[in-house]
Amino acid sequence: MKRPFLLRLVEDYWGILLLLIAWQLWVVVSRFNPIVMPTPVAVLGDLVRHPDIYLRNVGITLAIAVFGLVAGMLVGTGLAIAAWFSPVASGLLNPLTVLFSSVPVVALIPVIARILGYDTSTVLAIVVIITFFPSFVFASSGLRAPPPGSEDLFRVLGASRLSLLWRLALPAAMPNLAVAFKLAAAHAILAAMVAEFLMGTTGLGYLFAKTKSDFQTEQAFGVSIVATVISAAAYLGAGWVERRVRDRYA
Amino acid sequence: MRRALLGALGIALFLALWEAIGRLGLAGISWPPLSSVLTMLTDESRRPLFQRALLATLESTGWGYAWGTSAGLGLATLAHLVPLLRRGSDRLAAVMNSVPSIALGPIFLVLLSRESTPAAVSSIHVFFIVFVAVSSGLQRASDAHRDLFSVLGADRLKRFRRLELPAALPALASGLRLAWPAALIGAIIGEWFGAPRGIGILIINAMQNFQIVLLWCAVLLAVAASLLFYGLLTLLERAAYARFGS
Repeated sequence: MKRPFLLRLVEDYWGILLLLIAWQLWVVVSRFNPIVMPTPVAVLGDLVRHPDIYLRNVGITLAIAVFGLVAGMLVGTGLAIAAWFSPVASGLLNPLTVLFSSVPVVALIPVIARILGYDTSTVLAIVVIITFFPSFVFASSGLRAPPPGSEDLFRVLGASRLSLLWRLALPAAMPNLAVAFKLAAAHAILAAMVAEFLMGTTGLGYLFAKTKSDFQTEQAFGVSIVATVISAAAYLGAGWVERRVRDRYA
Repeated sequence: MRRALLGALGIALFLALWEAIGRLGLAGISWPPLSSVLTMLTDESRRPLFQRALLATLESTGWGYAWGTSAGLGLATLAHLVPLLRRGSDRLAAVMNSVPSIALGPIFLVLLSRESTPAAVSSIHVFFIVFVAVSSGLQRASDAHRDLFSVLGADRLKRFRRLELPAALPALASGLRLAWPAALIGAIIGEWFGAPRGIGILIINAMQNFQIVLLWCAVLLAVAASLLFYGLLTLLERAAYARFGS
């Protein structure tokens, strides 16, 4: 049975609708100056009036997040494969990666920025470094956990180390890599925005910092809403990819 | 044994590499040797500064952790008991988690105060992780157990308290472990919006005033605070799995 559209909308989005209504009421009742706190309706108005500013900066931030995510995952998976070939290397790296995966990564951004300089390539490097950790950790544990007994079968049949990697370990690591992708995708956009906020010259994070200090509060909130929609979409999209990969490989 | 040795060797190599890069100046002046960072960190005259900052951040993180955990646990439980609310609360949590932390700062600044903004930002991070962990944990009880409870005449609430909640405890413990670094990040970002003191303030000030060694000290403090509690929470998680895991 198909539910009526309006009912479905309320059932799926009651929380978000409540949040928006509370925001609107709160601003109207407290009579805030729009510089301090604009209403959601005013923010929406700014979004509609200046689509070009938003679109350009969304493009920049998204491009950095996507490039950084892909590069970080490639480096992380590559290193995990290298460590898989050499037990000594993986023994050396293992505790370090556990250590690093519990480090508050945002705290590292200022340090990385100091070392690499303050520009867009640093923002990219930060995204790469931050997405690297989950991919390495998850790929490593996935590569080392093929179905029980399957590794013996491959050895008995005389498979080389390389075909063991290609035909057994890598497919076995796919679900784990998908989880890493989901975690890293959310991190990538957040990290790009924080980095731009602190030291960027373009992108959503920079636009937010600039409009905030220029008291263009409506636009600052517009940036927040756009960023929220993008990360929510990235989270849902990555979740969809993760489910597909799990269905295929697990 | 061999693994532990290799691991210790790996950490030692990492620290030695850090020291060497700093000594030789391979990464420029922004990469000080580990020894000079540790010297400043243990310097008697700096102790009050570090202590104040660390305590302020830990206090904000603690409050954010407590509030976020309560809210996440509460909403997950509500959504579990009232299935009609489930889809909407999933989406609400996903959207709240997607609001960039730097955008949360100014909102809480208006809504609350400069002092409580770090805890508030931190609580949003914790809320999402705990909500996701508990939601999936509450569904972990097996169907056979559920049926048994129904057959024996347990009502919805009794089933929740005696079966589903205990079954969700390991997932809650995992969530609590993962939430700690996120809580710390939230507090540090929250402090950037005018908090009177804290690690986040130390980081920003040191970064803007080119006090490189001080910057590394602040980052090391944040890392230490993260690792210490992460380690303790890992123990709690193990205990929860040993007692309530299936």
